[in-house]
Amino acid sequence: MKRMLFIPSLALLAACGQGGKANIEVSDAWARPTRGDAPGAVYVTIENKGGQDDRLVSVMTDHAAMAMVHQTEMSNGVARMRMAGEINVPAGNSIKMVPGGTHIMLEGLRTPLHTGDSFPLVLKFRESGEEKVSVRVAEAGEQ
Amino acid sequence: MNLKQLRLGLWVLVGLVAAGLVVFLWQESKTEQPAFSQTSLGTIGGPFNLTASSGKPFSSAELNGKPAAVFFGFTHCPDVCPTTLARLTKLRRDLGKGNDALSIVFISVDPERDTPAEVDTYMKLYDTPVIGLTGTPAQIEQVKKQFGIFSRKVEQPGGGYSVDHTATVILLDRNGQFSSTIAMEEGNDVALAKLRRITA
Repeated sequence: MKRMLFIPSLALLAACGQGGKANIEVSDAWARPTRGDAPGAVYVTIENKGGQDDRLVSVMTDHAAMAMVHQTEMSNGVARMRMAGEINVPAGNSIKMVPGGTHIMLEGLRTPLHTGDSFPLVLKFRESGEEKVSVRVAEAGEQ
Repeated sequence: MNLKQLRLGLWVLVGLVAAGLVVFLWQESKTEQPAFSQTSLGTIGGPFNLTASSGKPFSSAELNGKPAAVFFGFTHCPDVCPTTLARLTKLRRDLGKGNDALSIVFISVDPERDTPAEVDTYMKLYDTPVIGLTGTPAQIEQVKKQFGIFSRKVEQPGGGYSVDHTATVILLDRNGQFSSTIAMEEGNDVALAKLRRITA
């Protein structure tokens, strides 16, 4: 029992050592190619290396009219896409967006996304402010 | 009544409840299973007529002779549809029997936006053959009904619409008969085993 309490308190101490601030790192941003006026989906990995919880509040890009965090929900084999609202990124945690779940939907793309291209995306966090990342457009068959 | 009698009485009661439970569960399993296999084996699929991405009429007879993985989706679907098609093309590659061993078929549930030309450019995103089909709203409704597919338009906040739809892949054998399904959540090893069965 003592040990069970010891580990979380250690983690808490380590977190406090970070200065008690959120420290967000966004990496591995990628999208699949699109055609015509179809929307695109971007997947990113968000890591909070700091000691304070943070929240992803919005996403912006010059490359599309709108960028929204969406969530694909499955029930009885039916896929539904819904607005996800703000995404919580607790201290010391990381969130990896994967196909078929949470993603950033780009509606009204200025030009379709072509494999090999890249474009900038800005993620805005409540505590850490804006984080810029370059999105890589992968092959259509990428998993 | 003394304590001994009471204890005996209680045990009899426990026995009766247990027996009742066994009978109940047995009845449940008896009534549920046939209903399930009836809908899945007897009624899924059947012949259909749609339009190919070339704009030419497409008859389901063109699929015969080759097993097929059929997926219903729409070209304005950014996450689930490209993810499923990417997965199917990868599974076919992992199967190692060549592109001719399995047809991958995409049927639009959004005939209003998905003209044959739209479907054609969507299919060309993939570096491997995928059969893209669309049709008139009436034809699509008919095929959806045959395959037990649900879909519903949902207005989006910024204008436009998305489509909620069944994302389960339906596997047909080389005679066009229903074989099994691949669900979104199902592991790739299970999916591959199902594909091996229809391509054996």
